[in-house]
Order: sequence, then structure tokens, then C-alpha cells
Amino acid sequence: MSFVEDPGHLSKSRLKSDLVAHKVELPPAGSKKEAYVALHLRHVDQTNAANFSSDEDDQELGVAGGDPGSAEELDPSALTDNDLKALLFKYGVKAGPILASTRAVYENKLRKLLQSAGEGESNEAENAVLYSDSDEEDVREENEDEEKELEGAQEKKAEALEPNQQQSDEKNVPAKKGDFFYPQCFFLSSRLRPCPPRNNERSSRRNSKNALKSSERTRPHRSQIPAGISKVSSVAQHSGLRSGVPSASPSVVSSSCSSFPSQAFSITQMVEKMESWSAPSACSYSMPEHWSRSSRLDNDAEDKDIIVDQADTPKDSTCVKEIKDPGRDILKDLLADTKASPTGIYATPRRPIKGAALRPVQYAYPDTPVSPTTLERQEVQRRLVPVYVQVLVFFAVACILFLIFVNVEDTNSVVDLLESLSQGPDGDDERLDAASGEL
Amino acid sequence: MSTTSQKHRNFVSEPMADKPVMALAGIGDRLGHSLTEQGYDKAYVVLGQFLLLRKDTELFCYWLKDVTAANRKQADDCAQCLKDWCDAFL
Repeated sequence: MSFVEDPGHLSKSRLKSDLVAHKVELPPAGSKKEAYVALHLRHVDQTNAANFSSDEDDQELGVAGGDPGSAEELDPSALTDNDLKALLFKYGVKAGPILASTRAVYENKLRKLLQSAGEGESNEAENAVLYSDSDEEDVREENEDEEKELEGAQEKKAEALEPNQQQSDEKNVPAKKGDFFYPQCFFLSSRLRPCPPRNNERSSRRNSKNALKSSERTRPHRSQIPAGISKVSSVAQHSGLRSGVPSASPSVVSSSCSSFPSQAFSITQMVEKMESWSAPSACSYSMPEHWSRSSRLDNDAEDKDIIVDQADTPKDSTCVKEIKDPGRDILKDLLADTKASPTGIYATPRRPIKGAALRPVQYAYPDTPVSPTTLERQEVQRRLVPVYVQVLVFFAVACILFLIFVNVEDTNSVVDLLESLSQGPDGDDERLDAASGEL
Repeated sequence: MSTTSQKHRNFVSEPMADKPVMALAGIGDRLGHSLTEQGYDKAYVVLGQFLLLRKDTELFCYWLKDVTAANRKQADDCAQCLKDWCDAFL
């Protein structure tokens, strides 16, 4: 009794593929299944018997219905199509139709899987013996096996899998940490570089911080802002008023912006900027951050910022509202001096751009509000001693020292020194002549 | 990052239609003749085999090496070519 099924139970195509696999000449195409069966019996079974003659014990074990435990002993070529498919599926390989052309491939595949499984089990056993904490090893080995089976990968792949997984795990951690690197970078940089890039730091801090947090934090600052800014802006406004010449203009809103001194930006620009500023949101309403924002806006007229600050600070509401309301406020402030026109229209013409289109510079621009860097520089310069003062002090000190020296030292020697100094070149010549004369 | 050959790019750039099996990347004259003798005379027949193996490049490599005297590189190139074609057109 052989555990191999009767060839009669196998399909014709299966028999055909078996014969091909064993390199047996196929009977003519039109022949019946019996011919195939006969050939199969003659050739294939002989080879199978030869293979298994030495493993009778295993054969008997295997007789018990294709025991998965003894899968190593199974010959994939002896399986039916369905069995082969089932076995492959057990190892995680979803096989397509097992036909004459594909059968050989799947048999090879199964053989490789069996070999790798066998090796995996032997490795497991060895490791269990060698290592005390076998749990980890077994788990790893099992994972290895599963991976090998699932992927149906070649041995090299399977071995590479584990270190790859470990590497990928390691990579994941830094990747996750990497997301947090950026805020840390900014924080560190803020600590390391206290003074100069204050603007950058503030802007970066703004970017990294939560909008909510910053808005909460900056709210208390906002009360301080109007006081500071209003002073500055009032100066700008008044000077602007004096210089600006209001007259009829098309729209109130645009004129409100355009009447500002030293600005020729349109309302649309302002709206866009306000929207962009409100989008990173309520963060950074504090004055220094305002300044940094202004510096970030690529050298727009800094005076714009005062007006915008003024615009921002009174209102918490949406940007549109902010634009309109400060517009009205500003206008009223600006044109407070002028008589209210009967129509109530505060209209001023757009200021001509200074020097643009060869227009003469008619209006003197007031002192421009300066950026914080300029302020710092001015402060520093104020504290610094001017050059001429330094020179004067130098000469004064030199004179004093000279006088002291003169008084302290003997007069004769001093006189001699003086004479020698004054008559330096002449004295040298005389001495040289004297010396040469002597010689 | 695979560097594909010109043959690969040519094949994958358009539907294979009735291209001969030698138009496949990795299949030269020798392999082409071998395949043709076995009945795989057109690229679409080889494609059929590839699809039967569920578009598994590894199994296809096994098959190609079985059927022809292809080496690993040739088989890999052919499998990758077919896979890319399937991704593009199937």
C-alpha cells in the first residue's frame, strides 16, 4: 500500500503534467486517460517507490491522510491539484489555477517552502536548547517562519527581513521624533541666540506655537499695545494730516488708507495681509511680534504696520470688520481737524507717490516709524561715544600726560629730549658729520 | 529605484498588441526562440502565463527559468516588464 493515490483518481491534465515532470514521453494527444494512467503507473510510481523505499516508517505515518506534521516528507509532485493548492495556501501563498504549465512552478514553490519550514523548525530547536530565554527566540523564529511563509520569499529575503524590520522600527522612532524636532530647534535657537535674530526667533516661535496658546498669552499684552502704538501712530497721523491735502475722492475706504502718509498701498493689499495674518491666527498680537511680522513682509513700508497695528488692536473681530472699523476710526482721527463736510464724506485724494512718474516731491514725509533694529541701533549709538569726542579725549589725555611728564622729570633731560626730538634729522646729520669728522 | 532598459520603456509605453515575445525586456534572440518553440510566440501569451501566476514576479521567474534557460537577471527583467505593463494597462 502506497500512500500515493491511484493514478486513476487523478485528472488527465494532472497525469499529463506528472509525466512531463518526470520527463516521460507523453502518449499521443488523442489517447485516453487509461494510457496516461498506465504510463504514470509505470514511471512515476516507480520513482516514487524508489524515493520512499528507505522511509517506510515515515510512509506509514504519512498514510494517515497527508498529515501536515509530516509535510516534509510529502512530495509536491504527488499531490493533487487541490491538495497542492491547499498546502500552498497554508503557507500563505495564494496560488492561481494549477495547470500543466503552472504546476511545476507551484511544486517548486512548495518544495522551497517545505525546506525553509524545515530549516526554521530545526533552528528553533537549536535555539531553544542553546538559549535560556527561549521565548524571545521562539517568537522571533516563529515570526521569521511566518514571514517566510507569508511572503514566500527566498531564504535570503527571509533572513534580511528581521534586520529590516528592526531597522524600520528604529527608523520609525526617529521619524516620529523628527516631527518634534522642529519646535525644539526653534526653542533651542531662541535660547542660544538671545539678541540679534530676535525677529526670526519670534516669527519662528510663532509658527511653531499653537495658535490658541499664543493667542491666550498675547491677550494680556494687547492692552499694553494700544497705549504704545497710539502714541506712535498719533504722531504719524498728525504729521500726515498736516502734509496730506484732503479733497474729493472716489471711495472713502480706499482714501482712508491712501491718506496715510508715506503709503501708497491699496486697500486690497491691506486686506490680503490682514487675512494672511489672521490665518496664522490670533497668535502674536504682541508688539515685538508685530514688528517681526512687519520685517518678514519683505520691507514694506514699516509705517504700514503702525496703522495695521492700530487696526488690529482695537478689534478682536474678523479681518473685514477690522479693516472697516479702523478705517472709520482712522479717518475720524485723521480728519478730526477738518470741518465735517455737509455730505459727511471724508474724502481725500490718493497721495501721489513720492518721486514716481517724475512728480515733484510736494509733500514732505514725516519721520518714518522705524523698525526695531533701527531703534536698537539708535539706542546703541546714543550710548556710544561719538568719534570726535574720542579724538578730543585722546589729545587731552596726551597733553595731560605730557605735562605730567615734563613736571616730574628733570628739566635738563627734558629739554635735551625736546631738542633732540625737534632737531631730529638735523641733529643726526650734525652728529654724523661730527662722527665722520672725527674719523 | 530601478533603472529600466530602453526595451522595457518601449514595451511599457504602449499596449503590446501583437508584439513578438522578443519585444519583452530580458528576452533576447536565444530566449525568444526557446519560448517560441514552446508555443509562446507572442508577448501576450507570456502575459497570459504571467497572469495565470497571479502576476507574481517570483513565480513567473521560476516559470521562465524552468521553461527556458533564462538566468535570474533575464527573468527578473521580463517579470518586471510585464508587471509594469499590467500596472499601466490592465
